[in-house]
Amino acid sequence: MKALDNVTFSIEQGEVVLIVGSSGSGKSTLLNMIGLLDRPTDGKIFIDGKNTISLGDDEVSSFRNQKLGFIFQFSNLLSDLTVLENVLLPRQIGGSEEDIEKDARDLLKAVGLEDQIHKRANKISGGQAQRAAIARGLINKPSIVLADEPTGNLDSVTSETIVQLMKSMAKKLNQTFIIVTHEREHFGNVDKVITIKDGKSFEGDYHAEMEVIV
Amino acid sequence: MDYRLRLAKRMLFNKKGSLIGAVLAVTIGILVIHVNFVIFQGLFDAIVRDISEYRNGDVLVTNEDDYIDKSDSSLVSWFERISYVDAAAPRLSSTAEMEITKNGQRIEKTRIPVVGVDPFNDIRASTVHETVAEGTYVFSRNSIVLGNSVSEDLGGASVGDNVKVMIVDRWGEEQTKRFIVSGIAKSPGGQGFDYSAVIHIDTLRDMTNREDQTGSIMVKLNDPSKALEVKEFFLRSFPNDGFLAETIEESAEEQLAGFRSGIAMINMIGYFGMMSSAFAIVTIQMMLVNGKTREIGVMRSIGAKRKDILIIFIFQGMIIGAIGAGVGTAAGLGYTVYAKETEMSFNNSLPLEVTYNWEKIVQTALTSFVLAIIASLYPSYRATKLLPVEAMRTV
Repeated sequence: MKALDNVTFSIEQGEVVLIVGSSGSGKSTLLNMIGLLDRPTDGKIFIDGKNTISLGDDEVSSFRNQKLGFIFQFSNLLSDLTVLENVLLPRQIGGSEEDIEKDARDLLKAVGLEDQIHKRANKISGGQAQRAAIARGLINKPSIVLADEPTGNLDSVTSETIVQLMKSMAKKLNQTFIIVTHEREHFGNVDKVITIKDGKSFEGDYHAEMEVIV
Repeated sequence: MDYRLRLAKRMLFNKKGSLIGAVLAVTIGILVIHVNFVIFQGLFDAIVRDISEYRNGDVLVTNEDDYIDKSDSSLVSWFERISYVDAAAPRLSSTAEMEITKNGQRIEKTRIPVVGVDPFNDIRASTVHETVAEGTYVFSRNSIVLGNSVSEDLGGASVGDNVKVMIVDRWGEEQTKRFIVSGIAKSPGGQGFDYSAVIHIDTLRDMTNREDQTGSIMVKLNDPSKALEVKEFFLRSFPNDGFLAETIEESAEEQLAGFRSGIAMINMIGYFGMMSSAFAIVTIQMMLVNGKTREIGVMRSIGAKRKDILIIFIFQGMIIGAIGAGVGTAAGLGYTVYAKETEMSFNNSLPLEVTYNWEKIVQTALTSFVLAIIASLYPSYRATKLLPVEAMRTV
């Protein structure tokens, strides 16, 4: 049984793309493969014209760090660090020696968390954590931001704020946003919607061929 | 600060129970080594100290023909001209049969070791005179000091009693002489003359028919580290007299060889304890890794390499090792200071010779630090093997 089969699509730089489908349809699996967190058993994934399937483990890590930003459903901030330290982490992992704190503070200001920066990540609300996660996803100025159910755990008012924030960031920074959601209605007008149909297999082998052009 | 070190520190300090457990494991490992060292090395050194103080000095001179024919006073003078030498004293040994009449009852004891001393030199070269608990040390040719055990064997002989001593001389003739008990010797730990009797060396020479002969010369140095130098100088100076000279380590070797093996075994037990601490660290760090599975997945997803994850958990091992080594060494030193200040004794008898062996203290701390790092390798390796997607599914 294949979780994904004959999935082929391309995305242009700066587009906001939604991947929708019912629960268990393979949306997150697809996103994980685009994000190089999971590997297809067959097929190709092109990002920046490079077939990412052939990259080694360290290259994949560097690629994720430099080219991709992740926003998860449950924010996934590191509870041992402060909000600011969480946002700085991808830049530090990338080994940047620039004055990175200013960028992080600017981003946190942009997401409305300038007064929360020194709080421990587990001491802020869910909406605030998700906004901090967006700032963390954007700190390295990635070409592609991958968001897995970013509003799935939030109330409708906070969800609306997060959606608007992501859309404005995409426009402002000309970044590609690929968003997995089953709440299509929250996102309004977007550049592309890819539907993963029900009835696909969710276990075992899968085949994916996709090209993400940025 | 490197972000990996900061993360390692935060993860560890936010799990205080695990941190305390791991640090305690290292601390206890080090403390066991220190306690073992204070007690067993202290006991060993105390025995060496007492053998040196009471019997052999820092250098013991004997002769390959059993007896030294050269004049003892000339040898003592020769030694005392060396600046490292405090004093030197001749000794002669034999065995005797003793008889005493107490409360109308005659008590006999055979094969009692008898040591002949020169009272004037002996009190300068040895502290055995300080073990005389009652009465005084040998002061005249007819005074005798009985060891505590000999005194008991002779029905509780006490100061002022009259003792008949019979010794077989070098020609096989029995020589008898009466002595007045001048003192009873009792040393802590029994390394002194508790099982012997002490008389004047000239009296013993007369009784054994060994006029002008000496059994040994004990040489006490003001700097014991020069023992080898003094010994070699002596042997070079008297190459044709058949002299034998040994430092305290050499002369006491026979008595201490078994003890040395015992100490090695105790140390090994201590190091096994330290290894157990390492296993405790492995267990605690595995729990830490399991508790941080999701965080590891998140870090991997935002670009951390396997090497970065490895370094984070090795840093944790280093932090545990550093704190554990610090606390353990402090606790061990605390115990050592306590043992030294209270003049801790073994079995409430022999005062331990407590020393600060800095080389061993540093070596123990470094060993436990390195062991903590080694112990963290397996959990760190396991952490690197987590797949980001799988790890993030962990709640």
